[in-house]
Amino acid sequence: MRGTVPASGPADGDPYLELRGVTVKHADRTVVSGIDLALRPGEFVALLGPSGCGKSSLLHVLAGLAPVAGGALRHRGDEATDGLRGRVRVGYVFQDHRLLPWRTVGQNIEIAMKAAGVPAAEWDERIERFLGMLRVAEYRGSWPMRLSGGQRQRVSIARALAVEPDVVLMDEPFSGLDEVTGRAMRQELTRLHEVASVPTLFVTHSIREALFLADRVVILSHGPARVLKTLDVPLARPRRHEDPALARLEAETVADVLREWDLTEGPAS
Amino acid sequence: MTSVTTPAAPTAVGTRLRAAAGRWALSAAGVGGVLALWWVGGSATRYVPPIGEVAGELPHFLGQSSTWVAVGTTTQRVLWSLAVALVLGTAAAWVMRRDGFWSRVTASLTAFAIAVPSTVAALLALYLFRRDPLGVYAVVTFICFPFVATMLRQGMRELDRNIGEMSDVYGLSGTARARHVVLPQLVPYVFAATRNEYAHAWKVVVLAELFIVNSGMGYEFSQAFDHFLLTEVLLWLLVFVAILLAGEYLVFRTIERYVLSWRVL
Repeated sequence: MRGTVPASGPADGDPYLELRGVTVKHADRTVVSGIDLALRPGEFVALLGPSGCGKSSLLHVLAGLAPVAGGALRHRGDEATDGLRGRVRVGYVFQDHRLLPWRTVGQNIEIAMKAAGVPAAEWDERIERFLGMLRVAEYRGSWPMRLSGGQRQRVSIARALAVEPDVVLMDEPFSGLDEVTGRAMRQELTRLHEVASVPTLFVTHSIREALFLADRVVILSHGPARVLKTLDVPLARPRRHEDPALARLEAETVADVLREWDLTEGPAS
Repeated sequence: MTSVTTPAAPTAVGTRLRAAAGRWALSAAGVGGVLALWWVGGSATRYVPPIGEVAGELPHFLGQSSTWVAVGTTTQRVLWSLAVALVLGTAAAWVMRRDGFWSRVTASLTAFAIAVPSTVAALLALYLFRRDPLGVYAVVTFICFPFVATMLRQGMRELDRNIGEMSDVYGLSGTARARHVVLPQLVPYVFAATRNEYAHAWKVVVLAELFIVNSGMGYEFSQAFDHFLLTEVLLWLLVFVAILLAGEYLVFRTIERYVLSWRVL
């Protein structure tokens, strides 16, 4: 997978993406309040927050779908406050698949690649490769609405990766899936990330999911979202869902998060 | 050890065939009901020609070149008027898709056009165009375009915002966006508008021809009726119904099956 390098080249030590005091508003209501966050090259960061805290709004801002109300956004040290769209290729996986139901699975990916400027000669190979990686290659000629929810989300991930993204934004992509499919998808995603090393921001409200996937977990407060705590995940890769260390870390983090989100009277025993 | 017995699943082909047979049976029952009513009417009254008499006249009627000239003239008027109505309706829908001054003005004009009865429109056209066939085109277009506009406006207002966001993120713009994102969402609305207004246009064109011109099926209808040739009136009616049903089953449904095949039904 490709990483776009600006003509001037990135300054040493600059994070791939940096948010400084970013505030997001919907109409007059503040939904994200002064977020500071850095995403390093190749890093997988999970944004963990309660439902409705403004996590998705933050991703919208990063993708350029909504404006920043305050603060600054920098991409490799350069000003990018109006979002990443147009500066770099963004692979976005939404909570729902957002495939074009009137185009086949293969056409959906082709359309995104064409818009992203991927050479036509590479389309076929890329479609085969990413659909194959996500185990939905046999559905290339199918209509999306004939696929199950899990299969559609796999295609949506394949689309996000096939555009040769410089950064991947994922907005609770597995929240609508059953447990078994969700686990399989997480496993697949970690494998893909190890191969591709594209910086990834993954929004979730599942602590276990965040710990399983991420290098770092940023814990957000109830809305308007602000950063409560950042946790480096001390688990080696490849990770397994059944790993007792993951379960222990999850228990500790749950206690921590409950305290941070004011859902308990005091520290967990 | 327990054993589980599952009922034999009906094959997909078998289910589809049974469903199709059911649909055909219902359609046949509908046609049969109309024929039965006709038969009763033909037997019990003197002014409804019996089925046998009309059926006997049908080959001769269809063999006359004048019949096909009238059918061709009216068909051409319907198709051209409908095409213009679709263009005008689409333009009006585009203006009305968002709130604003011109949107409100266009919406008012459209609402007014919907409220005008076809007969009044035909009489006005007679006053404006005299006996010029252009009046027929004007009436059909004027009556059909506001319905097209209303339906397409609804489609344009209901474009999926989520799909729009996805298109923004992946940089779909211009013709690619129109072709892959916007038009496919409007296709069901265009279909509904075309299908409804095709039938509507046929009903209006007969009325307009009756008032305005000396050609076409509407004129032939009125001539037959004025001379109390009720068998001929019914022959024209049969042709009229056959054209509408052919449009629906041979044209619209065929295209719809192809264009909307992505839908899970």
